[in-house]
Amino acid sequence: MSTHHQHRRGRTAPRPWRARLLAALGACALLLASGTVAPSASAEDGDGDGSGGDKVLTVAVAQSVDSLSPFLAVRLVSTSIHRLTYEYLTNYDAEDNHVIPGLATEWKSSPDKLTWTYTIRSDSRWSDGERATAEDAAWTFNTMMTDPGAATANGSFVGNFAKVTAPSPTQLVIRLKKPQATMTALDVPIVPKHVWEKVDDFSEFNNDKDFPVVGNGPFVLTDYKPDSYVRLKANKDFWRGAPKFDELVFRYYKDQDAAVAALRKGEVSFVAGSPSLTPAQADSLKGEENMRVNDAPGRRFYALATNPGARAKDGTKFGNGDPSLLDRRVRNALFKAVDRRAIVDKVFQGHAVEGAGYIPPRFSSYFFEPSAGQELAYDPQQAAELLDEAGYRTGADGKRLGKDGKPLDYRVLCHATDPNDKAVGKYLQEWWGELGISVTLDCLDNVTDPWLAGEYDLAFDGWSVNPDPDFVLSIHTCDALPATPKDTGATDNFICDKEYDALYARQLAEYDAGKRAGIVKQLESRLYDTGYMNVMAYPNAVEAYRTDQIESITTMPSAAGNIYGQDGYWSWWSAVPADSGDSSGGSSSTGTVIGIAAGVVVLAGLVVLFAVRRRATADDRE
Amino acid sequence: MSAETTGTPVEPGGPGPRALARRRRRASAARFWKEYRRHRAGVFGLAALVLFVLVALTAPLTVGSDVDSVTDAPGQPLESPSGRFPLGTDQFGRNLLGLLVWGSRVSLLVGLLAAALSVLIGALIGITAGHFRGWYATVMMRITDWFLVMPTLVLAIVLATVLSRSLGTVVLAIGVTTWPTTARLVRAQTLAVESRPYIERAKALGGGHWHIMSRHVLPNVMPLVLAQTTLIISSAILAEATLAFLGLGDPTVVSWGGLLQDAREAGSVSSGDWWYLVPPGIGIAVVALAFTLCGRAVEAVLNPRLGVSR
Repeated sequence: MSTHHQHRRGRTAPRPWRARLLAALGACALLLASGTVAPSASAEDGDGDGSGGDKVLTVAVAQSVDSLSPFLAVRLVSTSIHRLTYEYLTNYDAEDNHVIPGLATEWKSSPDKLTWTYTIRSDSRWSDGERATAEDAAWTFNTMMTDPGAATANGSFVGNFAKVTAPSPTQLVIRLKKPQATMTALDVPIVPKHVWEKVDDFSEFNNDKDFPVVGNGPFVLTDYKPDSYVRLKANKDFWRGAPKFDELVFRYYKDQDAAVAALRKGEVSFVAGSPSLTPAQADSLKGEENMRVNDAPGRRFYALATNPGARAKDGTKFGNGDPSLLDRRVRNALFKAVDRRAIVDKVFQGHAVEGAGYIPPRFSSYFFEPSAGQELAYDPQQAAELLDEAGYRTGADGKRLGKDGKPLDYRVLCHATDPNDKAVGKYLQEWWGELGISVTLDCLDNVTDPWLAGEYDLAFDGWSVNPDPDFVLSIHTCDALPATPKDTGATDNFICDKEYDALYARQLAEYDAGKRAGIVKQLESRLYDTGYMNVMAYPNAVEAYRTDQIESITTMPSAAGNIYGQDGYWSWWSAVPADSGDSSGGSSSTGTVIGIAAGVVVLAGLVVLFAVRRRATADDRE
Repeated sequence: MSAETTGTPVEPGGPGPRALARRRRRASAARFWKEYRRHRAGVFGLAALVLFVLVALTAPLTVGSDVDSVTDAPGQPLESPSGRFPLGTDQFGRNLLGLLVWGSRVSLLVGLLAAALSVLIGALIGITAGHFRGWYATVMMRITDWFLVMPTLVLAIVLATVLSRSLGTVVLAIGVTTWPTTARLVRAQTLAVESRPYIERAKALGGGHWHIMSRHVLPNVMPLVLAQTTLIISSAILAEATLAFLGLGDPTVVSWGGLLQDAREAGSVSSGDWWYLVPPGIGIAVVALAFTLCGRAVEAVLNPRLGVSR
């Protein structure tokens, strides 16, 4: 734009606009042509790296890596990489998520429920040849317990630990302060002590300078370029067996549409479903040859959180949530006016399951469904009555008035990067508009600041749930509130409910799986009734891969599960390369040829057109 | 007007000064139109503009304000063009032709307001800087230069990100980033006008700053400002579309750029749903082109040195 103006300013003699338009068109065509050529060329670089016929699996991810240090990483892409490069004490079965041995082969708790003893396997080696021992595990936990910098990502797991020791290389003993049911679900990567004890500051160290990074998972991290790619090599000595692919590359695509185009051209073998492919993308890929779309029940919930009045542990109230939302009837009425069926049908176009309890139905033992009497079913009529009953009546102009006499207008915090937020927001505006409540959509790239400050009324919220639900339950306890308004707590949206907290403590102390699931369901029931977290849907994980590059791959759970972002390394570890081998090289070079040819044709056409025009306008020019 | 004319003491028989001025203005407008008509491209641009403005103004009658309602959308998601939906439907099943018509209102409105704001700032700074000279002009022109070398889009993105998302923000972001060209042009013209002898005469007769600027300079730079406005509108419409496409517009308002952004987010680029992408793109291109054509024609008519090309 600015160049356009400068051209105009500096002009002395008139120049026909058509000529300039043509020049601009030519430049566009050139850009386009170079655009079609460049990516295929880079893909060939990537594929041709091993040159000896290495089987490379390239995964397109829509998230950049936050840190490669297991002590700091919280993003899904980073924790997925840690799953692949480090062993955890336990793992989850790909079949049905039950706990299976990882680095530990056995575990038992003492009768007083406070001492846990793990037997560490003796056949796991670090990639530099040293044996992985109980000492490494003890050091990892102790570091997290003593160094606040190392507790950044997974500190919640060790908060209740009293003492961790390694009496022998194959024995790890953890002493607890209080019973903790999640001791077989400690999702903490165990790092090699002999490498990591040289680190000075864990809050600064990102583990991305020295390659290959020493690990003991099925893959070894060999290369990383920020916002570009992460490269992993297969660990041939992995105790569970070597992966079938030789190399695994996570390539970062900011735009999901670009990732889908790369999948079509064979530059990537897999497009991660986080965020999910849109219904339009999934539908168009479904019909194509050599393409499989995996549309699996997701592990996320998609909810509408209300601000219950932000406060800190010291009792200070802050933020500016609407006071009307402190009334449970208002919260329930709002949710009663939300048609979950329509959201699933229209926004997710069937690629989601209607919302009920807090934990997705995929985790069947913890899945809670409200009873008929309890359910906040879609009923705008009742919602209006409920609001009337709570004292929020409509004024003369049809707007519902707050207690201060002003019309109700809720600010809904939405992620500008998530199309679903905006789409559901449009529906909310119309549904709640019928009730006489206006909605202001606050779509921000970074919702963190108003969120932590409590400066919102409602917000779109969503978490990935682990096989052990402790974490997603813990973020709604009073204990998770920030210490003072200036601090950042682990809390999700400032919920603090005594009844909920009591149930939470009970489930954490319950070692019997069946009984614990029962308490967790009561917990979800309580959360449902409070109306602070209203789950609208459980979005599916919609992902796609090329069957001419990946012959088979394990989903988790195996019946109908996701591939990217599993609680384990099953998908990439089990992926079998297709026999046809690396067909992508051929197709992409054809693509290059076609791209160049098309570019040349377009350019030639433009030159001819330009010449003709020039001749035609020759008389007009000076 | 006529009452005033009769009230002023004038020589009987001849028309009053105001009537004379009016007659002169009418004559020059007619002359302008006669000149303008000779520019075929300009006439074409004007016709296209009139068409678009008519479509935008009559939108409440033709498509109705509930065309952007998602809860009672008439169709299925992403239907291809058919007799019922000539341009297909979007991901909510809304009629895209209706949205296109409705979106033209926002695109035109933002384009016009942003251009008006931009030209207002530009003309104000240009005239004052040309009139007062001295340190004031130096400071103003350095500020202008600073804005001129700033990448407009980057500045607009920063503004649109920092401020809350609304139409006003977009207008402001475009307006305060595109004025420097106008300021420079207007200042140059002001300098030229102020060097004419009659300005000196007016000063000698006691004309103050305000009188000179508003009575003598402004009418003389007005044609330039008009032409500049028409040209800036087209880049303002493009800028609005760019900002909306980058997701910096108000997501609840339907505009052409917003439609493109929605299309991208729905994944219609990779799934080949052309009916979602192409019409808003063509709309933006045609309106921007129409304003440019008009602007060029106006410029050519008002500036005799440019008159040869058309």
